[in-house]
Amino acid sequence: METLIEELKTKIIAGFNLEGVTPGDINPDAPIFGSGLELDSIDALELVAILEQDYGIVILERSVADKAFTSLRILAEFINANRT
Amino acid sequence: MSQRRRSPVITGTGLICAAGCGVSSVWKSLQTNHSGLRPLTLFSSPRFSGHLVGQVAEEVAALAGKIRGSRSDQLAWIAAREALAAAGFAGGWGKVAPTRVGVMLGATVGGMLGAETFLAALLREHKRRFGPLRFHECAGAADLCARQMGARGPVATLSTACSAGAMALFAAAELIVQGEADVVLAGAGDSLSRLTLNGFGSLLLLDPHGCRPFDARRAGISLGEGAAMLVLEDEATARARGATILARLAGWGASCDAFHATAPQPEGRGALAAMQRALAGAALRPQEIDFVSTHGTATPDNDAMEAAALKRLFGAAVPPFSSVKRFFGHTLAASGAIKAVLAVQSLRAQAVPGTPGFEVADDKIGLAPVREFRPLALSRILSNSFGFGGNNVALVFEKFDSEAIPHQEPPASHPILRQPAAKGWAILGAGVVSPAGHSLAEIAAAFRAGGAPVADFKVPALFPDAQAKVYACGEFGAERFLDPARRRNLSRLQQMTLVATRAALSPQMVAATRPEQICVVIGTGLGSLANTAAFVENLILKDERAPRPALFASSVHNSLAAQVAIEQGCAGLNSTPVQREITFETALWQAATELRTGRAELALAGAADELQQYPLAAGLRWGWWNELSPAIRPFANALAKPARPLPGEGCAVFTLGPAETAAQPLGFVSAIRLGRSQTLHAEAEARWIIETLEREHIAAGEVDLLLTGANGLREPDDFDQAVAAACSRQAGRTILCHGYKHGCGEHYSASAFGFLTAIGLVRGDIPAERPVRTVVLWTRSPSGTKGMCCIRG
Repeated sequence: METLIEELKTKIIAGFNLEGVTPGDINPDAPIFGSGLELDSIDALELVAILEQDYGIVILERSVADKAFTSLRILAEFINANRT
Repeated sequence: MSQRRRSPVITGTGLICAAGCGVSSVWKSLQTNHSGLRPLTLFSSPRFSGHLVGQVAEEVAALAGKIRGSRSDQLAWIAAREALAAAGFAGGWGKVAPTRVGVMLGATVGGMLGAETFLAALLREHKRRFGPLRFHECAGAADLCARQMGARGPVATLSTACSAGAMALFAAAELIVQGEADVVLAGAGDSLSRLTLNGFGSLLLLDPHGCRPFDARRAGISLGEGAAMLVLEDEATARARGATILARLAGWGASCDAFHATAPQPEGRGALAAMQRALAGAALRPQEIDFVSTHGTATPDNDAMEAAALKRLFGAAVPPFSSVKRFFGHTLAASGAIKAVLAVQSLRAQAVPGTPGFEVADDKIGLAPVREFRPLALSRILSNSFGFGGNNVALVFEKFDSEAIPHQEPPASHPILRQPAAKGWAILGAGVVSPAGHSLAEIAAAFRAGGAPVADFKVPALFPDAQAKVYACGEFGAERFLDPARRRNLSRLQQMTLVATRAALSPQMVAATRPEQICVVIGTGLGSLANTAAFVENLILKDERAPRPALFASSVHNSLAAQVAIEQGCAGLNSTPVQREITFETALWQAATELRTGRAELALAGAADELQQYPLAAGLRWGWWNELSPAIRPFANALAKPARPLPGEGCAVFTLGPAETAAQPLGFVSAIRLGRSQTLHAEAEARWIIETLEREHIAAGEVDLLLTGANGLREPDDFDQAVAAACSRQAGRTILCHGYKHGCGEHYSASAFGFLTAIGLVRGDIPAERPVRTVVLWTRSPSGTKGMCCIRG
């Protein structure tokens, strides 16, 4: 689980060009969006595309995405439960 | 001259969508509450094959007859033909002069379906079938309709995403009120496409069960396609020819959320402002509205914010309302035009459609729509359309009482509040990103050196070894002006536009003006092509896996103007002309209209287009240019067809305002006009130019220089010079004739660069044979549309 969380941190930093942000700066229990990372709702949808690309998880409904993005830890649990 | 108030009325309507072909057929579907949504068959979609969509059931190409064009163009023409026949114009214009007939359409999809076919053949089978790219542009439908109709008044296309059809009606109404035209074909058509289906899918805005407007369980839109057209006419013209008047377009209002690329402002601030402006323009109070035709897309955000805005506007007395989206899907640009046709039909029938898909009321909304078709006493209907980027338009349709005496007094609706000062609107600021440089000083230096440098442009996906010669912008300082977080989801063209805007609009100007009084009109011929192509390539190569929402959001044409509004906080009208070579002139006209009516105190007008490998490859294939093509030398290349001038790119943005407020303007602009010529006739063009100047009390003898889009092609260059000679004869003095495309290359936004060149000429920064004080910028498109303006120091 912790490995997956670290992996997700790296993907987020690289995927969203978060210059000057290190994995240590991201709190795994804080909301991914709207908690100081300067990520907006388009980024949230981009993360949906990343999940599909890298983990084969297809999300078609916003309510599912909103729940999964509550925190990095919850997202990691969501990925483990749904990955193909 | 008597100041009889001009008022737009509707004398004909036409409609095609999934709920039927023809107004009466669609109305029957509404009466029986019959939804036209069905599984997609137009193309295969691995991702959304099971989804319900609003696909037109009829064979569109066959219905359109021998008309060549994209599916969007064909849909538009089918609706236009019905509307023109209904208005009594099937056999010609009768007493109406063709020069008084205009076309104002909305479009967002254009020929995307064909471009997808091209890309699929290229990427999957390595076949280079460029044919469909000929019908790619959103302007195709307006050009087609204008040609079929023989219209010779103003012709333009606006692309404000899902409000484009309503925005076209807004602009058409202004053409009539301001006396630019007596009859205007107005409406919009959009086909289904893989881009829009997967784009909305990537934003998680598609409901697999079909849309459920205002329902507690709603989860998104159903995508649709279709077209609707209205014949708008000045009331006096319609009465004089004894036409049956179906309804009046009484009010129109526009606003911008200035909030987000794809999400609406949650409290509906922009939506409320658009509705308030539509009512204010018609001098109506909220209680005079009997019914609201909502945008009602059934996305969770839209319906909640629209309901909130309705409650703010009407308080406890929200009138009956419905959403027709489940009948035929969300038809994007066509949506506002279809709702306009249905509003006219409702006023005639004194009945309103229901809201199929709605079953469970949403406590959070606290309002329920009309469920089924029912009679209702109606005098006025408010119709809402909201687009991506917060481009909002509200329209008020009014029952027409043929017994009433025609208006004697100028009505309250949208009066012209002011004329420009003696020299025109003040040009308060200018910003540019161009191949010749990114400031007027750099550009002047480039002109002294003979033009911008020519660069190589590789087209890797198509011709691995081939290079095209181009005029390219190079680095334009995006890194310096925009922080990485801001740039992340912006296309290169959006960044160019933001950089140019920062130079045109100072923080002091913004601070001194109320946000709702700053309008933004920034056009683009082809939009952020690189991002659009990347989104579609991705769909094709990955079988629609993981479509990229950021690419889709920036592929929408109006995402340039919308990002400017977000960054600068501009809450006034926000619009995006997409009319090929006269894209910028259309922007200038719409911006000046907002100033004339007093709705804006500051108006941004601009245009932007970028180089991209697919159009370059098409040009290579079609023999338009090659590695040996020479640099552009206006009036000096004498190139023969099929050679074309070298392609270019760039963006220019200008801030306009009333002259009184200007401290030291860069210059003044006046005599802004759009039109269309059926044939090439130099004397007639010269008459059109001089007549336009004289309307604004500018003597032809004042003109020093005619600035044209001359590009080194022999025939058009000769024609431009013939027009300048004819102007000289009519003016009684020699008028110089210059070009500007050696500074920017050939592209749809080139005349915005021409406008800056004109400013440079009247300021003396750019030299001419003799001192120049007055320049006419005159632009014409091979399709016949044209535009002009006069720039003075």
